[in-house]
Amino acid sequence: MTDQNMTDFVRAQIAQRTNLPLEDVQENSVLVDIGLESIDAVLLCGDVEDTFGVEIDPSMIFEHDTLGEFVNAISALKSST
Amino acid sequence: MTTWYLGLSTTGHDPALAIVDAQGTLVFAEATERYMQDKRAWGIAADHPAHLEQALADVGADPDRDTIVVASTWQTKKAELPPEMVDLMIPASHSLWLWHLHQTAQSNIGTGVMRLGYSAKPPTVKRYDHHLCHAVNACHQSPRQDAVCLVLDGEGEVGAASVYDMSARRLKRRWRSWGLGSLGAYYSKMTLLCGFDWRLGEEWKLMGLAAFGTPIPELVEALCATVIVDRGRLRFAPAEQIEQVMLLAAKHGRSRSDPVLDGANLAASAQDAYRQIADQVLAAVLPETPAHLVLTGGCALNSSYNGTIARRFNTAGVSVPSAPGDDGNAVGAALLAWMEDTGTDGVPTGTHTAFLGSKPSHTALAKARTYAGGCKVTQCGADTVRQVAALLGAGKIIGVMRGRAEFGPRALGHRSILADPSKPDMKDKINRLVKGREAYRPFAPVVPLEHAQVWFDHAQAAPFMSFTLPWKPTQGAKVPAVVHEDGTGRLQTVTAQDNPWMHQLCQEMGATTGVPIVLNTSFNIMGKPIVHSVEDAMAMFMTSGLDALLIEDTLFEK
Repeated sequence: MTDQNMTDFVRAQIAQRTNLPLEDVQENSVLVDIGLESIDAVLLCGDVEDTFGVEIDPSMIFEHDTLGEFVNAISALKSST
Repeated sequence: MTTWYLGLSTTGHDPALAIVDAQGTLVFAEATERYMQDKRAWGIAADHPAHLEQALADVGADPDRDTIVVASTWQTKKAELPPEMVDLMIPASHSLWLWHLHQTAQSNIGTGVMRLGYSAKPPTVKRYDHHLCHAVNACHQSPRQDAVCLVLDGEGEVGAASVYDMSARRLKRRWRSWGLGSLGAYYSKMTLLCGFDWRLGEEWKLMGLAAFGTPIPELVEALCATVIVDRGRLRFAPAEQIEQVMLLAAKHGRSRSDPVLDGANLAASAQDAYRQIADQVLAAVLPETPAHLVLTGGCALNSSYNGTIARRFNTAGVSVPSAPGDDGNAVGAALLAWMEDTGTDGVPTGTHTAFLGSKPSHTALAKARTYAGGCKVTQCGADTVRQVAALLGAGKIIGVMRGRAEFGPRALGHRSILADPSKPDMKDKINRLVKGREAYRPFAPVVPLEHAQVWFDHAQAAPFMSFTLPWKPTQGAKVPAVVHEDGTGRLQTVTAQDNPWMHQLCQEMGATTGVPIVLNTSFNIMGKPIVHSVEDAMAMFMTSGLDALLIEDTLFEK
């Protein structure tokens, strides 16, 4: 199950970094398609790490196509530690 | 049968190996460049078989009996990430080159161990976070129970800054910086713009040159804006902005063929901006209640900056390990592997020594004594200090190779060239006759710790030459060969306990000349690593203007 707080946080961060309206950034959004650049993806990982206290593997964001898959992967990591 | 923990620095530059025994004691550490006599040993395996064989023989390992656990200084294989993730400040061609070297270093880990018969197949490699390796290495060399450890370097697993809190020797990461922002990359870029080459390790030259220039206020302001500090974390400004600032900086830069001093104002501006950016990181990292700061990562080699921290920030002291760069990470990886295997939470407390490398070969020394035709050869026995002091007092320049080699970039008296700093022409003489390096670059003083406050303002212990401090104005004039253009010196403090021979030599110089200070520069010629073997030392002795060479207690004089 998706962590709603984390989903909201990641959506807001991505909307800000891609200059898209929040409603255009959804769980099923494909990160590459909505124009999230790799440099911003990396900074997003840092923000998630700081905010949710979970250690993210830097390759994670590149291994998951959609926002929802990325958040699920982090949630799984968070609950396993 | 016993187990050895082999830490390998596998960045692709500055490879090194470190060996920790089954009890968790660091028994050996040495940069690959020393063995190979190839500066920074770009692209050479950290477990190069011949070097590894020598190291393992030194510690008494046996492939028929013992096991080796292999540990690497990187957790993530950067090769698995997009190459544009590495650096922005340095040219893309440099980044790509680094990325390939890193990839090669990662894929070859353990082949040296196989070659020596410790493993029939590629060994399982334990991988540890790059900045954690830096932190463990640095804290291992610190006797403190509690400290704040700041890692600043060119690049890490996800960024180029990390902060750890050490409590009762247990390290916990507070945060790490993500993305491209990097003070190390910034300094590399400034090195290039000043006509030097970071790939040759010439950041030193930029730092030394800064003393000759005056910071240009608008340039400093622009340079500061290229690295954004957000709660201590580093980010680069947008690429277009950095490009504009670098165009401005380049106007004050120089090409390699221009006179060196043409780059002095840029160097001074670059160093000043470095200070301001690093200050913001420290301000975000240091707690209100004074804590001990352990500073490490390649940026911790900026001794000019380091020397200003203790007097400007509210800390309980500052320390920097002998090898804060990527070579030192080999120690961190080896210790982490041991800690993991033995279920140890806390970082073991080391012996605080930097003398962790190879010893001179007695066989080679015996041959040198026999075949050094044309030299006067003296067995000094216990009289080395008095004889060396007498030669120094007579204005001689002496190469010294004694005991185990230093781990880290600084020669601390075991692989050093020594001279009397009170001789006014000594700096030029060493540059002209021995080192062949630029006339503007400073030499370092060795001073007994108990005398440091007599000679320096803001004196502090500096066993690994990590801090540049201002000479007391009246005192510097007595040792002109070791006073830099801005009235500072990158001192090495010695105590009777941690460096007895150098301490005795300083005392002897004090007794005979009135100045208990010795000029100490690394035993190498410009562009080459510090000498490794007896043969290296003899070759440099015979092909340079060195007057004498002391290997252990054998003195060779021309």
